Amino acid sequence: MSNEKIVEIRKLSKTIGKKQIIKDLNLDLHKGEITGFLGPNGAGKTTTIRMMVGLMKPSQGDILIGGKSIRTDFEESIEKVGVIVENPEMYKFMSGYKNLLHFARMHKGVTKARIDEVIQQVGMQNRIKEKVGSYSLGMRQRLGLAQALLNNPEFLILDEPTNGLDPAGIREFRMYLRKVARENDVAIFVSSHLLSEIELLCDRIAIIQNGELIDIKNVNEHQQSRYYIEAKPADQAKQVLEEIGFTVHPHENGYLIDTEAEHIPGAIKLLTAAGVDLYAVQPHRTTLEDQFLEMTGGGEIAQAHTK
Amino acid sequence: MLKLIQNEWMKLWSKKATWIMAVLLIVILLANAGITKWIESTSPAPESDWQEMATMDMMMYQDQLENSDLGPAQQEYYEGQAAIAEYRLANDAAPFKIESLQQQVLDGHMMLSLVTLFTVIIGAGIVAAEFSQGTIKMLLTRPVKRWKILTSKYITTMLFGLVFAILTFVSIALFSWIFFGTGDGTFLVWNGSEVVEGSYWAEALKLSALSLASTWMIGTFAFMLGTVFRSSSLAIGVSIFLMFVGVQLVFLLQDFEIVKYYLFTHTDLTQFYTGFMPISDITMTMSLIVLAVYFLIFMLISYWTFSKRDVTA
Ligand SMILES: Nc1ncnc2c1ncn2[C@@H]1O[C@H](COP(=O)(O)OP(=O)(O)OP(=O)(O)O)[C@@H](O)[C@H]1O
Ligand SMILES: [Mg+2]
Repeated sequence: MSNEKIVEIRKLSKTIGKKQIIKDLNLDLHKGEITGFLGPNGAGKTTTIRMMVGLMKPSQGDILIGGKSIRTDFEESIEKVGVIVENPEMYKFMSGYKNLLHFARMHKGVTKARIDEVIQQVGMQNRIKEKVGSYSLGMRQRLGLAQALLNNPEFLILDEPTNGLDPAGIREFRMYLRKVARENDVAIFVSSHLLSEIELLCDRIAIIQNGELIDIKNVNEHQQSRYYIEAKPADQAKQVLEEIGFTVHPHENGYLIDTEAEHIPGAIKLLTAAGVDLYAVQPHRTTLEDQFLEMTGGGEIAQAHTK
Repeated sequence: MLKLIQNEWMKLWSKKATWIMAVLLIVILLANAGITKWIESTSPAPESDWQEMATMDMMMYQDQLENSDLGPAQQEYYEGQAAIAEYRLANDAAPFKIESLQQQVLDGHMMLSLVTLFTVIIGAGIVAAEFSQGTIKMLLTRPVKRWKILTSKYITTMLFGLVFAILTFVSIALFSWIFFGTGDGTFLVWNGSEVVEGSYWAEALKLSALSLASTWMIGTFAFMLGTVFRSSSLAIGVSIFLMFVGVQLVFLLQDFEIVKYYLFTHTDLTQFYTGFMPISDITMTMSLIVLAVYFLIFMLISYWTFSKRDVTA
């Protein structure tokens, strides 16, 4: 991972009518890094991504890809970008191969050999001569991935790419993205609702709500080690734990304490000695889902927000 | 740009509808030739000889010439026609029969409204379909500026019209050759001072090229509507409606000055060579200028909306 900056989103805003859909968004993306883009329905993920690929014009701000502005140097900036926006729609009346040929002709220097190579990579060689109309959803997704990879992109941008893939397909897709990111040093920006998906795939997560970027965090950041303790009577247990010096947070039917593993046996001894009955002692990990819901306040659809 | 046009051409001919149109065109022309043949063989026209016809024509043309409100183009046309009729009688030079390869080819340009119809359908759909299929987002996220994509689509539409026009001509020539064979006669033209023998192929080509101006304008109009409204059915509907009603409006507007700037007063450029002019005091130059202005407006609207629009499809 070279950590070289490839995409810079600067003060990006989008207003449609009176509604400000995206508010002053700033974000950098780096080579070899997979960044997840997470947010509740209507948060503005698709809008942001459409602006990044030139489908929509920013009301304010700019996006630089490889140092070139999407507004003023569109052709140069989009040259090394691979895109899947929502479902990759293809020309159903043509074969998969002709579809790829069609898109290949729109890039500089994509040869027939490269088309064949990409077809191999996504495992479509047996069906590529058939009309896209006869493909299953998963096959279309594969073809969608193939067209995004044609130009050897340095930056892949994907909006809900695993829509319609079966679990095996999702897994394969994930492995594939990881491989591309590592081996070709590609920056990947992927939006999704599927938290577990993002957690498994991404190095870094940007969270958007009501058009504002509310947090950027690294997935494998060291988490504070926490334990969950359920005991009765609860009040007495709490008292004992506080006397030992732990900070105690109520959680479900028991308490959470922030501590390392080595302090746990001692705490158990003290609790039992005080006559408290222990029902459960277990390490507690907050999932991304918990964090997400905590941050976005339950994940309900973003309210219409007029300025 | 060549690659973009290649792409559009490939998409166009990958659709069944395009092939159906081509087959339909050929079938219509075949039926047309067949019916003409059938009518000729079942109820042969009374052998009125051509001399009688030419005499009548001559009188009619001279009648017309005495009519004072002829435009300059009509004046010239009727003078020419009268001179030709006179020449035919004096020199015993018969015209071609309707049922001959030559006359069919000469009249072939009248069949080009079929080409206009098909060009409208293609032009209306070529941009709109990308939106309705959702493929527009795949198309516009390539390192190609939007105006280039639109240009390739426009050129493809016009190329389609041209190919269909050629197809029409080849079919007419072929079918009339099969059904009627070549006829005897001479093709005469008035060069301004005398009557000389002319090439009917050259004349047919000239009239067709002039007819194609209307295909071009209405096709461009449909292309614009398809681009602006992103709905091919709307664009086809409005264009075809105007194709038929637009010309009628010329008659309604004929007493107003504005008719001279009205598109459909000028779309039929063959009017300067066939004598049928609803508004007689216009000239070819004027028509070409008006058409060019309309063309520029249509193009400007198309390019402007296509390049500015946010794609949310
Ligand atoms: N053309 C438009 N006109 C008005 N409002 C729009 C338009 N497009 C999107 N919006 C609004 O912008 C907000 C963001 O939409 P967007 O599609 O970017 O959300 P999203 O994060 O992709 O949601 P989802 O997770 O459901 O895909 C929504 O509130 C939506 O209603
Ligand atoms: Mg979305």
